[in-house]
Amino acid sequence: MTLNNFMRVALIKAISLILVLLGVSFLTFLLYYYAPGDKALAIANARYIGEGSASVELVEQIRLETGIDRPFFVQFYYWALDLIQLDFGVSLISQEPVSEIFISQLQETMELAVLSLLIGMSLALPLSLISVWKPKSFIDRFAIALSSIGAAIPSYWLGLIFIFVFAAKLQWVPAYGTGSLAHLILPASTLGLWVLTSQTRLIRSFLLEASAAPFLEALKIRGVGPKELFCRHIVRHAFVPFITMLGLDLAYLLEGAVIVEVVFARGGIGSLLVHSVMSRDFPIIQCIVIFSAVTYVTINSAVEIFQWFINPVSR
Amino acid sequence: MNLFSFNYLSFQKCTLAQKYALALYIQTQTVFKKHSFFLLFFGLLIGLVLLGFAMTPYDPVETNFLNRLSSPSWKNWFGTDQMGRDIATRILYGAGWSVGLALIVSTAGAVIGMIIGLLAGSLGRFVDGFCMRMTDSFFAFPELIAAIVITGVLGPNTVNMVIALILVSWMRFARLVRALTGDIKQRDYVVQAKLNKLPYYLILSRHYLPNIILSVVVIWTSSWSRTILSISGLSFLGFGVQPPQAEWGAMLLDGKPYMLTAPHVMIFPGIAVLVTVLILNLMGDHFRDHLQSSEK
Amino acid sequence: MLEVNNLSVRLQDQTLLENINFKLSRGETLCIIGESGSGKTTLLRALLGLVPLSLGSVMLDRHVYQSPEQSQIGLPSTQIVMQDPIAALNPRQKIKRSIAESLYKSSLQAVEIDHAVLQALRDVELPESLENRYPAQISLGQAQRICIARAIVAKPDILFFDEPLSALDAIIQKQIAQLLDRLKKQNDLSYIFVTHDLGFARHYADRILLLNSGKVEEYQDVNLFFQGPESIYGQELLEAAYILGSLPQKKTEEFRVA
Repeated sequence: MTLNNFMRVALIKAISLILVLLGVSFLTFLLYYYAPGDKALAIANARYIGEGSASVELVEQIRLETGIDRPFFVQFYYWALDLIQLDFGVSLISQEPVSEIFISQLQETMELAVLSLLIGMSLALPLSLISVWKPKSFIDRFAIALSSIGAAIPSYWLGLIFIFVFAAKLQWVPAYGTGSLAHLILPASTLGLWVLTSQTRLIRSFLLEASAAPFLEALKIRGVGPKELFCRHIVRHAFVPFITMLGLDLAYLLEGAVIVEVVFARGGIGSLLVHSVMSRDFPIIQCIVIFSAVTYVTINSAVEIFQWFINPVSR
Repeated sequence: MNLFSFNYLSFQKCTLAQKYALALYIQTQTVFKKHSFFLLFFGLLIGLVLLGFAMTPYDPVETNFLNRLSSPSWKNWFGTDQMGRDIATRILYGAGWSVGLALIVSTAGAVIGMIIGLLAGSLGRFVDGFCMRMTDSFFAFPELIAAIVITGVLGPNTVNMVIALILVSWMRFARLVRALTGDIKQRDYVVQAKLNKLPYYLILSRHYLPNIILSVVVIWTSSWSRTILSISGLSFLGFGVQPPQAEWGAMLLDGKPYMLTAPHVMIFPGIAVLVTVLILNLMGDHFRDHLQSSEK
Repeated sequence: MLEVNNLSVRLQDQTLLENINFKLSRGETLCIIGESGSGKTTLLRALLGLVPLSLGSVMLDRHVYQSPEQSQIGLPSTQIVMQDPIAALNPRQKIKRSIAESLYKSSLQAVEIDHAVLQALRDVELPESLENRYPAQISLGQAQRICIARAIVAKPDILFFDEPLSALDAIIQKQIAQLLDRLKKQNDLSYIFVTHDLGFARHYADRILLLNSGKVEEYQDVNLFFQGPESIYGQELLEAAYILGSLPQKKTEEFRVA
């Protein structure tokens, strides 16, 4: 019965997931299709750099080859067919396969994301726990101030300040570039601070919400001590929303990575995206956009299924 | 009549005009008591900005190479940038760009999101399904990445940035309004209105809109501050407001090469963003608390 | 006046109501009783046109509807008073406008509507100054009176009530019940109550319609019903009510106003 029910929920989720993915790819293609400028000319110019403007014949040849003149839905069909096979084509600039470029850059972004998540969470968890355990204490006030100021700090500015203080003045770590762990410290701290502030705010609010739950009164009357109440009941109760939001925040970490990578002149998906957009390298742009959207949608669905298992109310 | 010490008897004797004046006074006083902190703060800030516009002797874009990169002084409070422009003046004008554009973006996003959310929540299942799958599709793109791509592809300038930011900001409103509308649709007063054969537009304007607008305002303020961060971020990456315009992110982009020798070029615009966003966030929190306490 | 023949409601493959028949003449009060889930509220909603009927017909004077499409239009000159008066009033709309809404389809001028609203407030024994208040500023009993005012202002022939008293205290219940009695005599109204309060039904109804899982168990004159129900279900129901004491053995007459 329950499994049958689960299959039905899963089927509905799967159908809506497919619809959303279709919508995502459609929107991506729509943007490409209506982008201003002659795409055939752009490809021709990109392929044969240094020969000045490409000849008319060449442009015509590329036009035929890529089928840029065909109607919208025909183009979309072939494009989507390639997409399903995970074939994103070759970069317009370097002529290398998009997937290879993408995967090599993904690694750097993952390093940054994982380290900043570690930094952020290892501080956010104790901070928010103490903040709720001892309300109105110094730590609590600090957590509140940190989360409201942190939400207002522009991360690119914070990155510049970090570079100025720790790399230029104190000269503890190198400012720009990739390579060693030392290169990673400043970018990861910048992104980690964002994780810290947003997670502190969230975990704190989940814990506060959990500690206002009516069943706690009944436990108090039964003589459950405050320590046990907090550790066993409140924390456990706040766990489900915490996991839910953590999943969604992971997807948004990518967004934070874009700016941090550009500020610290690192490689990675973010700077790849910015450079591709500047040079109008459409295959790479499409790959990154679809990757980020699919990541978000997949995490979202996974979180929903997780919630279904954890929380009997949502069944 | 003394406004500060009146009693009921003297109120009875007042003329109509005096009664209106008194009612107005009492009303503003209660509003002021409820929101005094913010009104004061906000008023002070707006006053300072306006005073700055009136007082500053400098132009935000006019260059003066004799006075490049000078440190903060009494003449140039926040110093001057690499082209000798007064940073304090540029930050004042930048407030217009960031806050004003963000206001346009979040308001447009709110209107679009409200229309879609209302349609989805109040009409049948098919419209609902279509609108919400569309919202989900738009929501799947991380805001900043989508904004970068859209502005970049359409051509990096202010108008395209505004279009891009509107395209990525309406979904939040649509989801909220959809949820609220779906809830209100079940309420007895909407059922009554339908039984009394009120046309759809009246049910929308009398029953749905007044009951969702406060929640929308809360999201609207938070969207406003988020958009300020997005605008300056995009401009910093070179996709938004273009130099030499005095937008805060564009100023940082401009000043980045000189930041080691003249750090004030990058410190002050960042502080301007921080303070503005902080104030808007606090305002949003205040609205939300007010809304929650009024619902209880 | 109102005639319901073979009414059935099916949603998807569930039968919610089956083969309902009853009549209601002018000035009569019908109480629809039954346990929760028996289809009382569905019947009310079907009569109002909120739920499309699958079979049968509903006839009010010369106005008939038979098909699901016709039933969506609903009956003219009917109004409803809901269970929770606060939920039935838009919290962001003044009382005045909530009441005036019932007159939307009427051909009255704005001034006449204002007068009608004030008259309705007087009819339900509320001060006229209430018209400029919001629902959060009035008491529960006042809110239910407002809902009644909203119903009677359109001068309906039939008033429907969905558990109109169950959200209220006993004293206010009595006051509202007396008010309804007076309004009925004044305006020559017919009432249809949905209730599970047997005591109220015995005091108030002329006829009883007992529903059980979507079917009519008994359709009977009120005195005959309470003297001895014909159906086994009705007998069980009364027995349970007597044992629990929720229904007194004898009918008290002083409840009604002269």
